[in-house]
Amino acid sequence: MSAAIPSVACLGVIGRNNNPLHISIFPSYDPTANAFTPIRNPLQFSLLLSSTIDVFDLRSKTSTASGDFGLLHAIDDRLAAYGFETNTGVRMVCIVDMRGRRVEAGGSGVSGQGGGAAGASTASSTSASAAAARSSVGSVGAGLRDSEIKPVFRAMQSAYVRLLQNPFYDPDEHAPLGGKGGRRITSKKFGDDMKRIGEAWTPGVTTL
Amino acid sequence: MAASKASRIGEERRCFWSNRIARTRIDKVNAELVTLTYGTIVAQLCKDFEDDYPEVNRQLDKMGYNIGLRLIEDYLAKSNTMKRCSNFRETADMISRVGFKIFLNITPQVTNWTADNNSFSLVFDENPFADFVELPDDGRAQNELWYSNILCGVLRGALEMVQMQVEAHFISDVLKGNDTTEMRVTLIRYIDDELPPEDD
Repeated sequence: MSAAIPSVACLGVIGRNNNPLHISIFPSYDPTANAFTPIRNPLQFSLLLSSTIDVFDLRSKTSTASGDFGLLHAIDDRLAAYGFETNTGVRMVCIVDMRGRRVEAGGSGVSGQGGGAAGASTASSTSASAAAARSSVGSVGAGLRDSEIKPVFRAMQSAYVRLLQNPFYDPDEHAPLGGKGGRRITSKKFGDDMKRIGEAWTPGVTTL
Repeated sequence: MAASKASRIGEERRCFWSNRIARTRIDKVNAELVTLTYGTIVAQLCKDFEDDYPEVNRQLDKMGYNIGLRLIEDYLAKSNTMKRCSNFRETADMISRVGFKIFLNITPQVTNWTADNNSFSLVFDENPFADFVELPDDGRAQNELWYSNILCGVLRGALEMVQMQVEAHFISDVLKGNDTTEMRVTLIRYIDDELPPEDD
């Protein structure tokens, strides 16, 4: 018997001009095809991220001090968007697929990591944490605690800080003053970090 | 033999103390401040010279040369080594174990000597200048820009002030995807015959 546990479906970074800085999409497990495919196409994810901007805007009036916005919006019975905003106006969104990863009942065989490129090390580390995750989540659809998403945002923020420390990254190019436009992040290191975070996260993971 | 051993021990002790003294009175500065400042300089040079990377390398080397001319005095004061190095091998050792240790708190390995002892490599296991750096992805920087080229100039300038004309250049850099960061230093000549006139 196998059970489904939550996984990251999409990580997005939105600049202070409401411009997309980065979008990473992760494949989810599809039981009918027994394969890993993204649950939505890139355009749909882009629209989902855009729709979170309104929620950020609405909630910022009664904002929490930590910048953690928690659950922004439950899209359907599978997808849920969580958000985080820094004081500089950079927003990070994590869209979670509540049934994105399959775990064997014994807790041994995790068929996480779609996408083909996942390293053996991440696969083995998730199999250990997945067992813990299953017990912490209990049944499917029980929802996630904000504290379970927090490591994702902490890791995303530190990846973003590392990106800013690269002297060849010019933040002004990516979110110019004046409130219009901005280029996307092209850094390979940042992309790899996002990929690592999205693939390694599972409920119960405390450090990424 | 006993005498030579005694002097060796004495020497060791002196080294130990000078290192100790050097270590305790070195003013420290936040590493990120150094990294970000140097990064800004390089990035600004790239902007000013419109991504003419060979020219950026030259400018960095020139800046380093001017730093080296001044830095050697500080080195001699801090390192407490009044004795001249007897050969180039010793010089290389002092550069790595004392010079880099004092100013950057790293100890690059000295390897790949040529048979005539006039040329060696400094292999940098860590390079505080290059933390966080990702070279621009324009297809040229990866080949042309030597990010830490200022170090070559520093060595050239500093050694020139102690009567050694050297040539230094990087031959590999982890930023470019190489396995190591390696600088090649070659002694061209000793220039004792050209002491400045006021030194007589």
